[in-house]
Amino acid sequence: MPLYICSTQKDALDQPAKEKIANAITDIHCSVTGAPASFVHAVFFEDHPQFSPGDKTLLVRGTIRRGRSDAQKSEIAKKIKSSLAEFGGAEAQQVDALIRETPASWVMEGGEIMPEPGEEAEWFATQEARRQGEQL
Amino acid sequence: MINCSCLIQEGQSPDLNKVEMHAAIQEFATRSFGLEAQIVWIPVAAGDGFTAGKPSTSSVVSITSNEKLDPAPRESLLREFVTLWTNKTGSTSDEIVAVIADPTET
Repeated sequence: MPLYICSTQKDALDQPAKEKIANAITDIHCSVTGAPASFVHAVFFEDHPQFSPGDKTLLVRGTIRRGRSDAQKSEIAKKIKSSLAEFGGAEAQQVDALIRETPASWVMEGGEIMPEPGEEAEWFATQEARRQGEQL
Repeated sequence: MINCSCLIQEGQSPDLNKVEMHAAIQEFATRSFGLEAQIVWIPVAAGDGFTAGKPSTSSVVSITSNEKLDPAPRESLLREFVTLWTNKTGSTSDEIVAVIADPTET
């Protein structure tokens, strides 16, 4: 978590474009929130009945941990929309990015409950200590 | 009935036997929530899943509880589910993102 689901119309993106967008989403999320890149998941669904982009060519639905400011969420959405237009070759009005939140305490990743925003360093330290303990 | 969506990387989840996993998730749901699960498998096409901008081997399983959960029982259920998943699939705990959400308020 976060999980960014990118829905596209059929043949809207080639593989290099997907890779560029996935990297852009990762960079944007990390730069805005300070979260580690290893938390950021991005998946693409093309012409998928469950993940329709609606009337857009490219639509990203991001689910992030609760606790970010409105300004951070707006900045993430704005920058992702720009990256979709840039790397997806779509007009600005044909792309959109929506952000919703879920409590960190509802999510387990790496075998541990996810940290609250800003508590990532302690979380990784605990993970590392646990792994070292398992190796003894 | 509780909802369970399993987003899996096509061809990258080692030893994923959907029939066996389906049965294991049903057993988990019945024991944990007292209800059957409506399980939806959502394969991510090869090359279409990324973690940290690199090809991903992570699965994301999201379960919606039938009632609000306190932190301790939720964590216990998540641990149990992650153990079930890693044991059945051969993946590591770094390759499963598990979510147990409260029911949507209407």
